[in-house]
Amino acid sequence: MVIINEYSTKSTNKVVMRKLILFFQIIFTLLPAALYAQDNVVSGTVKDISGILPGATVFEKGLPSNATITNGEGRFRLTLKGQSNVIVARFIGYTPQEYHITADKHANIDIILRGNNQDLNEVTIVGFTPQKRITSTGAVSSIQGSEIRTVPTANVQNTLAGRLPGITTVQVSGQPGKDASDFFIRGQSSLNASNQPLILVDDIEYTYDQLQQINVNEIETISILKDASSTAIYGIKGANGVLIVTTRRGKAGAPKFNFRIEGGEQSPTKTPKFLDSYQSATLVNQAYTNDGLDPVFNQADLDAFKNGSDPYGHPNTDWYDLIFRKHTYQANANLDISGGNSRVKYFISGGAFNQNGNTNNFNDPQDLVNTNYYFTRYDFRSNLDLKANKTLTLRLDVTTRFADINAPGFNNPIGTIYSFQTENSFSAPFINPNGTYAYNNSVFTPTHAPTLNAQLANGGYTHSRRTDYNVLVGAVQDLSSITDGLTLTFRTAFASEEDYQLNTSFLTDNLKNVFPSYYFNPKKPVGAQYSRNPGSPFTYSTYILFGGTDLYTNNTNIQIFSNYDRTFGDNHFTGLLLLNQQEINSQADAPSNTRGLSGKIGWDYKQKILVDANAAYNGSDRFSAAHRNGFFPAIGLGYVLSKEDFFKKAFPTFDLFKLRFSYGVVGSDGVPGSHYSYQQTYNGGSKYSFGTSPTTYTGLSEGSLANPDITWERDRKMDLGLDINLFKNTLSATIDVFRDIRYDEFVQPSLSNILGVGVPYINAGKVKDQGFDGIISYHNNIGKVQYSAGFVFSYAKNTILQEPLPQPGFKNLNPIGLPIGQTFGYKFIRYYTQADIDAAKAFINEHGKNSYLDGNGHTVVDPIPVPAGANSGIGINSLHAGDLMYKDGNEYYAADGVIDKSDQVHIGYPNLPNTTLGLNLGVAYKGFSASFLFQGAFNYSVIIKGTGIEPFQSQFQPIDLKAWTPATAATAQFPRLSSNFIGTVNSPTNYPSDYWLVNAYYIRLKTIDIGWQLPSNLLPFHVNNARIYLSAYNLVTWDNFSNKYQQDPEVSSNSAGDQYINERVVNVGVQLGF
Amino acid sequence: MMKNYKIIIFLSAVTLITACKKYNTFPLSQQTVDRVFDARDSLGANANKFLLTVYSQVINGQNRIDNNYLDAATDDAVPTAAAISEPLTQIATGTYTSFTFGFGSGDNVWSACYAGIRSANVFINNIDVVPVQATMPNIPNLSMKYAWKNEARFLRAYFYFQLIERYGGVPLIGDKVFNVGDNVKLPRNTFEQCVNYIVGECDAIKDTLLTAPLATSNYGRVTKGAALALKARVLLYAASPLFNGTTLITEAKAGNTGIGPRVVTDPNIVGYQVADQNRWKLAADAANDVIALKAYSLNPVFPDIFLDYPPSNNEVIFAKIVDAGTNVENKNGPIGFPAANSNGYTSPTQDLVDAFPMLSGIDIHAANSGFKPDSPYAHRDPRLQQTVFVNEQVWLNTPLQLFQGGQSIPNSGVPQTVTGYYSHKFMGESERVNNYVSHNEDWTIFRYAEILLNYAEAKNEFSGPSPDVYQKLFEVRKRAGISQGNGTYGLTITADKAVLRGIIQNERRIEMAFEEQRFFDIRRWKIAPTQMNPYKHGVQIVKSVGETTINYINVLPDVYKQNTFTPNQYLQPIPYNEVIGNLQMQQNPGW
Repeated sequence: MVIINEYSTKSTNKVVMRKLILFFQIIFTLLPAALYAQDNVVSGTVKDISGILPGATVFEKGLPSNATITNGEGRFRLTLKGQSNVIVARFIGYTPQEYHITADKHANIDIILRGNNQDLNEVTIVGFTPQKRITSTGAVSSIQGSEIRTVPTANVQNTLAGRLPGITTVQVSGQPGKDASDFFIRGQSSLNASNQPLILVDDIEYTYDQLQQINVNEIETISILKDASSTAIYGIKGANGVLIVTTRRGKAGAPKFNFRIEGGEQSPTKTPKFLDSYQSATLVNQAYTNDGLDPVFNQADLDAFKNGSDPYGHPNTDWYDLIFRKHTYQANANLDISGGNSRVKYFISGGAFNQNGNTNNFNDPQDLVNTNYYFTRYDFRSNLDLKANKTLTLRLDVTTRFADINAPGFNNPIGTIYSFQTENSFSAPFINPNGTYAYNNSVFTPTHAPTLNAQLANGGYTHSRRTDYNVLVGAVQDLSSITDGLTLTFRTAFASEEDYQLNTSFLTDNLKNVFPSYYFNPKKPVGAQYSRNPGSPFTYSTYILFGGTDLYTNNTNIQIFSNYDRTFGDNHFTGLLLLNQQEINSQADAPSNTRGLSGKIGWDYKQKILVDANAAYNGSDRFSAAHRNGFFPAIGLGYVLSKEDFFKKAFPTFDLFKLRFSYGVVGSDGVPGSHYSYQQTYNGGSKYSFGTSPTTYTGLSEGSLANPDITWERDRKMDLGLDINLFKNTLSATIDVFRDIRYDEFVQPSLSNILGVGVPYINAGKVKDQGFDGIISYHNNIGKVQYSAGFVFSYAKNTILQEPLPQPGFKNLNPIGLPIGQTFGYKFIRYYTQADIDAAKAFINEHGKNSYLDGNGHTVVDPIPVPAGANSGIGINSLHAGDLMYKDGNEYYAADGVIDKSDQVHIGYPNLPNTTLGLNLGVAYKGFSASFLFQGAFNYSVIIKGTGIEPFQSQFQPIDLKAWTPATAATAQFPRLSSNFIGTVNSPTNYPSDYWLVNAYYIRLKTIDIGWQLPSNLLPFHVNNARIYLSAYNLVTWDNFSNKYQQDPEVSSNSAGDQYINERVVNVGVQLGF
Repeated sequence: MMKNYKIIIFLSAVTLITACKKYNTFPLSQQTVDRVFDARDSLGANANKFLLTVYSQVINGQNRIDNNYLDAATDDAVPTAAAISEPLTQIATGTYTSFTFGFGSGDNVWSACYAGIRSANVFINNIDVVPVQATMPNIPNLSMKYAWKNEARFLRAYFYFQLIERYGGVPLIGDKVFNVGDNVKLPRNTFEQCVNYIVGECDAIKDTLLTAPLATSNYGRVTKGAALALKARVLLYAASPLFNGTTLITEAKAGNTGIGPRVVTDPNIVGYQVADQNRWKLAADAANDVIALKAYSLNPVFPDIFLDYPPSNNEVIFAKIVDAGTNVENKNGPIGFPAANSNGYTSPTQDLVDAFPMLSGIDIHAANSGFKPDSPYAHRDPRLQQTVFVNEQVWLNTPLQLFQGGQSIPNSGVPQTVTGYYSHKFMGESERVNNYVSHNEDWTIFRYAEILLNYAEAKNEFSGPSPDVYQKLFEVRKRAGISQGNGTYGLTITADKAVLRGIIQNERRIEMAFEEQRFFDIRRWKIAPTQMNPYKHGVQIVKSVGETTINYINVLPDVYKQNTFTPNQYLQPIPYNEVIGNLQMQQNPGW
């Protein structure tokens, strides 16, 4: 028999926005279709995708009083009394599920429930208070940990993209252990302070880096708080939004064991291609010829490169191919045990994760030094809840994590391979005939560094050894003896994190001296064929192990709060009063303290009219006593129209129609620079001395000027939200429109340098950030096939309203009115032709430069603009046909014949996408389920420079073959090649332009999960759940700049594009419950 | 419930005890002004450290801009790695604007000098509270703090001098230490006010300073001699044609309208509107005051001026103390020595080489000089090879190979001289060893030879050639090792002021090369157009079997080998940010 399960995807406004993934699942039984006599006793198991569900309600349809609760193994047994032959399973946070009893199937029924964030009564903890989705007024999105557990990535950040509306992520690197995405909630608003959201994991403040160490298996829910109503309670730290992670806790019942093991294969999302020796050498000659110089390589050289007849004198080495692996592996195992009784509940989990790096293994086995990248992590968590007596509950959470991150000691291999001046296809053979390493010996590799494989073999490693400990002790006292609905909670959390850097290296750091590398010349007599790197006799050294930086932080967080929640007739009241103090110590720094009092009052009338008032009064010791404590109020209002009779009559298809509005002020205390910028300090300065045999003293000097009045940034947040459910809750949508004004931003004023000392930050910047985000989801079934779709969208655009910048040299470079991080550059018109240059030259030769004053005092400008420096009789010779011609003049400056900074305009977007989309598709049939998440980012700009693209900085790339030549002028896709490309008008480094800038987008098939949940009756003894799945991450990418740049689309600010390439992962796993 | 209350009370107590801790219980690592200038600090230890900071802000000219000497922007040298994107090349060719150079880049010393002035003012304003017990060695009953205070005043005056030689009149701020709310939108003072301020300061402090000879532990401190030397130089500049009766505004306007707002209209800001011949007398008298101290003398060995300390070297009047080392060699030395790393950043020109006379003192262009074009370095003023490395000069136990393809001009890959010469000045005695010897690398700011030349120049300008003037030149040439000849050290004795002016200017060029004098000298003498506009030259020595050919070549790539010296380059532009944000600030003419 078949059971159709509901699944869900949909967020609602405040409580939980839960599934973005569309899932479709079908459960089917494998029992032979033998006929059984109808029996009125039915039995079975209730599960969700990750295992059994104890405590679920199962009742007979039409006869709700005939109900039972699933036991500790998720099993139920129910005697049917009515006529419907349908049972319903229900659990908070899941869509209720109907099951039609038929003659052939009435025992061993599997009912698989689907999580549902549309459940109006589901409760989420938001800002210390449990809130139901229907009564919340804030902009909150949530996701269940179970939805992202099988995403094959080491860190939780990477799983959020495209699932949570309002979140923007950028994954800059794929390096094992350091591949976590940066993320922002509703984009960026702050010019100089951090835009990192406040991250709270079980009430402990985490950094981006700490968050990535968390094992996703431990996570119960992730919520992001976006508007004033939900973040005001965090006051001075809430302005960037808040990300809250809660971990899983035990539930009453027999011990539940959950075991998951998976293994995956990683490969780069994009593999750079470089040209071979013959092609590169040809292009080198082309560039030299373009410059009017003699070609570097003669025909014999080119032939040797082409036919490989002289592999040592004329090498042709594909460094990328030889250095990097095509595939690497990762493995992940988790075990958790949960359960409990009325007095004790526990959740205990342990995990091990291992991820390998992408370089081949070159080290000498004798050294026992692993120079490859890798990441291993072991983690443990124990969450205990103890019922001390009738009214007192105690809580003890303990977590530890050990992580090891390894990387090659000397350099970034990808960066080295990109760089033409360290390594190129003809710079060295991969290895000499006698097995020794070579060094790079082309005229373009002046440092003569040993080859990359030699460096990897001998360069040792840098190793980061991380240890995290968290302990949380809490107590909840029920004070209903004073008044009903009152509780008092104490919570103290301690967290410590240590990151110890460990390195191996040879004693000296001069590569040439310690690495034995040789130049092999077969033309010399035997015995003299190998020569050492010039001038550097090899000295034998041994590895030494030495410690580097030891970074650690201690974090203590104390909270006392009292909650009140009581209903009087139609009126429901909630209240919260919170005292919170946090101290963060790191290394030798002075501690960073915050302390505050927060409160919240909520009232709703028949769950129809909703009013919330939130406020925090808190302070940070980064400010002077007079400017330390701030008051941050917010109000939230809600109106559930669908509860009104007139609305129900007029629009019966609406199951929910709710309007929300919130408004308030939240703060940010992240002053850049000195910890105590309100105090004038004197610091150790330059060294100086007197005397003929001097003893050097460190001088004392005045630090940057203090600003005693410095205080927090404020963010005035306004949010208008709409939550709707339609068609029996199959279609739902949550849409928020917001406008945040960040003001009193930290900026450094522009003062005359006559001041003579560094200028402090003052509160004077202002940025507007506005946009919308939301999720629309639909689920239904066609016969036995369930399907679902969820669409997540986020748009956040910021505009600088006020910034007392140092006056830019030109009005056209003024950033006011533009987004944070706007790029400025030239507008490309066309390639110069020889005719252009001849015309410009004639003009210059006639008038001395390419503009002159005519008799009437008017400036006459050569219509062919030339770059600054080329506007003289001699300078014009630096310009050639095939160079990029840019637009002269703009709205601020008239054309003057010279291309200089006055001709730049703002081009493209900042690097951070302002639009992100996610599309989650799911399908389920019987025990099979499949889900696909497409994620895309739009409206951002990429400009790659230097070793990423510029000839003679970068190795030659396929695009260089399309460079301008007189013959290909019409179809050129790249400027004229030049041996001094970076010195020409074509260089993106010195002449950023829209020729180089790509207004980018990408769409990724971000994650896939295809699984099969085995029917219960197939499971062997003690195993009550089993699921086999295939999952993938970053599987396919579509983007619009691959024809120009060979980088992953998330390169971010890494404009050389030489970061560890982001990985695609394909993963298989098994999950067992017993 | 009762049980629970106990627990609650306990938890509350724990929480509140922790929570009630005050902010900032942790000691701060930084110090406040009361600790720097401490009324209990009878050693003045911290105050002295603060004074060290002021000293450390004095500009060190060694390879200061793009690893080059400022002199590479003159006719004496070119940057080896000349490129239109390099600030030094831009200075040399006048292809920069008021906003091209950020703070500290190029020759933009505006903020560095005002930072120094501020530090000096902080010291001057606060040192009085420190009860320094030590007394001045030359004035036994006076606390050292008065000497310290005057040292800070000297440094402040020197920072102003660094500003006015580049920019003309600049805002004078007195003892003011500005705070964030203060108005720093100041107008420029006139050039005369600035000169008078510097001179007035030197006069005011000269008698309450240490005097030479200094105890070895005090070497490097400001002395009375330094104050008088600064006064002598500032008066010499004030008397020079660029400033003394300035015509800059008209000249610069004719050449270039400039792009900056609010160009100076008052000539008094960029110089003296009315020329006054008597300014030369003031300059000569001021130089004579230094000579009259009789505390200084020429070091008998020219290179040792920069290597030796007192008492064996009494020529240096004031220097910035720099740690001993071999940086000069590493940055400027001839390349190609495997064991001795070097870069050869500055390439001296043939034009500088030609400025050195023969050993007889006779100009090489003179008919009777005995100069032999096929052995151009033989029998020359010894200062030639002490200033510039020439072919076959011995260095690191090796005759230098400054011919094409030779060890130091390999013509492959690595940066090498573009003129055929490497800079030698300031280097240690590494001729007869295999590796660089570490040596004194102090940056000499005032030395006695300059005072003699200052005197000679000012005296000649004021009253024409006289034995007194010649005597000073003889002293400098004698020390250089030029043969006495008939007693005139090869000099022409003339009564023509202009001829003697040329002689003095040439002597200053070769004596003070690479000491950041030439750049300003060709400007204040207003000879920059004639010196900067022609091509700069180098030598290309081609060695084949048994034969050496010497070719004189134009150096530097096409784009910047020739320069158009426009009159606006006589002064530098006030940094753009200073002008744009401050309506009171006027830009120099032509910028």
